[in-house]
Amino acid sequence: MSGSIEVRGLSRTFHTTVRRPGFGGALRSLVNPEKVAKHAVCDVTFSVAPGELLALLGPNGAGKSTTIKMLTGILTPSAGEARVAGVVPYEERERNARNIGTVFGQRTQLWWDLPVRESFAILRDIYEVPKAEHAARLQEFDDLLDLSSFWDTRVRHLSLGQRVRSDLAAALLHDPPVVFLDEPTIGMDVVVKEQVREFLRHQVEERGRTVLLTTHDMTEVERLAERVVLINHGRLVLDGTLDEIRRRFGSTWQVRVTLADPHTEVGGLPGVALLRREGPQAVFGPDGPDAPTVHQALKQVIERYEVTDLALDEADLEDVMRAAYVHAGPAAEGA
Amino acid sequence: MASVLHGWRAARVTPLGELHTPPRMTAVLLRLTVQVVLVASLWRGLYAHTGTTAGLTREQAVTYAVLAVLASRLRELDQYAGRDTVIQHMHFGTIVYWYLRPLPPQRYYALRALGEQLYGLAWALFGYAICLAAGVVEPPRSAAVAGVFALSMLLGQWVLYYVMLLLDQLCFFTIRNNSAMLILIFAQNLMSGVYAPLWFFPDWFITLSGFLPFQATLSVPLSIYVGRIELSDAGAQLAVQAAWVLVLALFTRRVWRRAARRVISQGG
Repeated sequence: MSGSIEVRGLSRTFHTTVRRPGFGGALRSLVNPEKVAKHAVCDVTFSVAPGELLALLGPNGAGKSTTIKMLTGILTPSAGEARVAGVVPYEERERNARNIGTVFGQRTQLWWDLPVRESFAILRDIYEVPKAEHAARLQEFDDLLDLSSFWDTRVRHLSLGQRVRSDLAAALLHDPPVVFLDEPTIGMDVVVKEQVREFLRHQVEERGRTVLLTTHDMTEVERLAERVVLINHGRLVLDGTLDEIRRRFGSTWQVRVTLADPHTEVGGLPGVALLRREGPQAVFGPDGPDAPTVHQALKQVIERYEVTDLALDEADLEDVMRAAYVHAGPAAEGA
Repeated sequence: MASVLHGWRAARVTPLGELHTPPRMTAVLLRLTVQVVLVASLWRGLYAHTGTTAGLTREQAVTYAVLAVLASRLRELDQYAGRDTVIQHMHFGTIVYWYLRPLPPQRYYALRALGEQLYGLAWALFGYAICLAAGVVEPPRSAAVAGVFALSMLLGQWVLYYVMLLLDQLCFFTIRNNSAMLILIFAQNLMSGVYAPLWFFPDWFITLSGFLPFQATLSVPLSIYVGRIELSDAGAQLAVQAAWVLVLALFTRRVWRRAARRVISQGG
């Protein structure tokens, strides 16, 4: 089954009541409520190929979760269309449910009073997974997530890391081709985070699952995502690779080199500007919107000049994303 | 057959959760024992100086009251501790998972309730057997009475299931249902005859109660059991119970459809 995700012009508008301030305002809102339309997602178009991991990024309230809810079928779009593994999710919710696995960080789907393994058994029954297949998959997940050390413990007694690992396994026990992960590692320690990342990498690379991930953890994005879709104020502002995002918003890298010959003339590298020159030391930075990435610039410098020492300062992805969020804000949109 | 059994393990959630929590079972045992002893003593005391009140003998009254206590156990489990009430799922945002599985939420809810009621029934039967052996309650007058009582009890529990469902569905629209739950528990206990058989109330109250579903949940089956409703009149009462089942089933079905549209705005 193809695990692709196709999204075309997806929009969702919520109608909410304005709460006026103060006692009088509250009374007026009660007697004469004023409704306003809030466009949570506006005309979003993107696709995810089978076996691809895409990070859906954006600041809080950008529309990421609303998009995921439409793709999982629990919310019907106001306009546009979506297909997940060939199914229109909000039209065939139950059929779609068989094709997807979902983890909403901090919200467990496991039964609080039961041991983890009992929860898995209930889900096996709900998804009608053959017993042998279930056992084999559980074994595979145990190898990757070390579930057996706590799967006879009741969910209420699990640590957050144990619970999220159990939730990940629960979401994939029915072998879905598409997985939606909404901030799955929020609040987890670095060791468990890395274990989860390894698990996700395995699911994408070895099992060919399509993963749509939302997260605010940029390390996670760097380690896992091949492609990124950035949305802000409900609109898609960028769909590309991490390099493209860096090129567009991460303009703060600097390459510092010490030249073997202090009299060497420097300059003329495409997209690279000479920022400072002090004797044998030269500092280069990006020049214009078509500037190369720091790694490409480094390669150019080394190929052109004889260098005895070098250092580079690169804005990390968090800085880049901060710049992207600011530039992709409402002011930028209106510009 | 496979589709009939689909998701049946959801029915095991409550019994398994309870079995994994022995203190809760001990608490149930203690509470039931105390309630039965107190209720039996109270009604025996009330009948100490009279043979028949409101058309009911002492044995009938005690049997009615004790059976009401045992039957109230059928759906009074500690779901709250198990974080498995609709209100909690709304609060924690986990209600979305009910809509992310290839099992309709209404079916999942029904299976959960079935498991709960079967588990509660085991407790009620256990208590009934002990009370019967100890002579606290009278046995049914005949096999026919026992059979009609069982059928009426089944219909009564069905009505109760829908009443509880309606309250849970309320959470989709109001987020909280605590006040409604308190009112319902009081109304249910009062109008179904858990506190006292309905014949002790004034006529206007009995008339009002006839227009509400609560009487159909417990008062009717227990009245059949103790002989207050004769078998010749039971048919009409069973028909009223069945009518409540039908009306509430249709109504809650509509509410489920509307609730599905509300799950996002309320459930996060």
